[in-house]
Amino acid sequence: MGVADDVVTTAGSDLSAHTIPEQDIVRNDLSHRVNSYTQSSLFSGESNVLHRPNPYRRMLVPEAVAEVDFTTPLNAAELTGPRSLVAHRVLGTLYESETVLLPEQGLTELRADFDVFYGAELRRIRESCLSDLEEFAFSFLTDEVDISGRWSVDALDAYFQHAVTEAEQGESAALVAIAGAKEPTVAADTYLIQLALDGLTEASAMSRNLGGAYGPEQSALFKIFIDEFGYGVYEAKHTTIFTKMIRSRAMQTHVHAYWNFYLAGPMATNNYYYYLSRDHSKFFRYAGAVTYAEAVFAPGFVKMIKTYRDIFGDDVDLHYCEEHAHIDQHHGRITREQVLLALAERHGDGVVPELMRGIAEARLLGRWFEDDTAAQIRWADSIAQHRELGEAAMSGGAASAGGATGAGGGSRRVELSLGHPFGTRNHAEAVVLTMEDGEAELVAAATGEPERLARGDAVLVPAGRVYGIRAGSRECAYRLHRTAPEQ
Amino acid sequence: MNRVVVMDLSRHNTVLVGHDRYFVFESNGHLQLVRDRCPHRGGPLSLARLTADGRRLTCPWHGTRVATAALRRTSLPMVRSGDEAIVVLPDVPPDAQVTMVRRRILANLPPADAACHPEDPRSEQGSRNGRAAGHDD
Repeated sequence: MGVADDVVTTAGSDLSAHTIPEQDIVRNDLSHRVNSYTQSSLFSGESNVLHRPNPYRRMLVPEAVAEVDFTTPLNAAELTGPRSLVAHRVLGTLYESETVLLPEQGLTELRADFDVFYGAELRRIRESCLSDLEEFAFSFLTDEVDISGRWSVDALDAYFQHAVTEAEQGESAALVAIAGAKEPTVAADTYLIQLALDGLTEASAMSRNLGGAYGPEQSALFKIFIDEFGYGVYEAKHTTIFTKMIRSRAMQTHVHAYWNFYLAGPMATNNYYYYLSRDHSKFFRYAGAVTYAEAVFAPGFVKMIKTYRDIFGDDVDLHYCEEHAHIDQHHGRITREQVLLALAERHGDGVVPELMRGIAEARLLGRWFEDDTAAQIRWADSIAQHRELGEAAMSGGAASAGGATGAGGGSRRVELSLGHPFGTRNHAEAVVLTMEDGEAELVAAATGEPERLARGDAVLVPAGRVYGIRAGSRECAYRLHRTAPEQ
Repeated sequence: MNRVVVMDLSRHNTVLVGHDRYFVFESNGHLQLVRDRCPHRGGPLSLARLTADGRRLTCPWHGTRVATAALRRTSLPMVRSGDEAIVVLPDVPPDAQVTMVRRRILANLPPADAACHPEDPRSEQGSRNGRAAGHDD
């Protein structure tokens, strides 16, 4: 176990001088193109656990990107796995670079980063790989959701009402996990962070479907959009009241302070709406998806208000949730009557399967959002238990020193120096992390205390769970071991 | 009026709606809920076998050959995700009893002369969802 077959050192790497020959962008495969993008100095991370107020810099963990096989698309079973996490981080960055992001403090200090983020070089790569990366990330939905039979407007409405009733009456997996957590405040913050992904840039995807000319349905969608944007009053804009909510939890409010803690499921959900709205051939899918989302938001926020009031009492600003619990009743009605059913009636039964697909896919992704968040909450809330599992796995021989945990065939030893770029990642299978030298902090949640690790400590990291390691001494090293299948 | 039912495809492959019966038919890799009634004299198409070209079902009652394409056009609105299928049953009287069961579906077996050729993509091993045939009865 003492031989480092595959050493990764994340500290001290200088990626800023990297330049990308134009011919490489054009001719190489998706893997090369994505790696070229993530090699930009904007995406190699900084030592801070949270990102500073700079919307252009976000940690894409280039070494994790380099391990991903982009030749076969994601499948539904790995939505919370490392290929998904990597792909959706990159995809989300590509999408957001097609929106306008400006820092609240002004651009003066960040002009150079602005120029790189929106510059010709990254734009060229973005344009060369966006469609292929979307195919990689979302093509599995074609098999995962199958629409068959003869659909009519009445059948569409019956299915829609069923899906909404199911959501209204069902439980939120994430809220259940929060209520059952030993540290509910940290768990509640983790959920807020997942909402921040959309909450800080709300309705950006929707804005892409406002142009063109498609009749009264266009005006109906615009009514929702202007609600989201506070009727032109910045203080009433939903992103503004979202920041009030997280500020009341003493959390950072800038885009995207908590980037390292966004999970694959929530990112896939957020990216899905960009995916549908970027390509107008998917407009009817978008209309189905957004109708479902608007209809289930209101009851979802009612449940969230109850959970958060139980935990925080009046010490949290839930205006954002109350606004959605109210206005999304109207949005649910408007989208159903004036968008979903109106589109079906105007354009005929031929578009109904696409509207259906959007509803079904949004429903599916919504579940993954909840399940992924709930699993992360449970993992971050039970590190002590996972220490015991890790120690038991090592002492019982259930962990394999020779097990692969990423690219390459050997076990993985990771060496870090104080101040190294901080990033988070996950693994396709459960791994045992053992400290070999020095001290470190295991970070599984953005708020709350990190877990101190010293030489000899072991922690089991479940498959798919996101974590980061921060050096706690000048130098430190840990090793990742694959566990036996029953782990 | 429409009624929505949720099927667990790992457990059920047939829906009984009053006196009507529908079965899960696997065609071209897709599952569809089709009426279990031959248009000739009402024979059970779930017990029909595919013709050698895989394009028709031969009704066990009178040997009527029913095109699978025509059968698919009669399928009920269904959304499948994993083993869950949500089906919209149209024009179901409020008091009609709806039951889901699992039966042996011969229509999902490969054509008789293809079953002995396992390399044939239409053979049982190549089936996308062998459970649609109800083999674990």
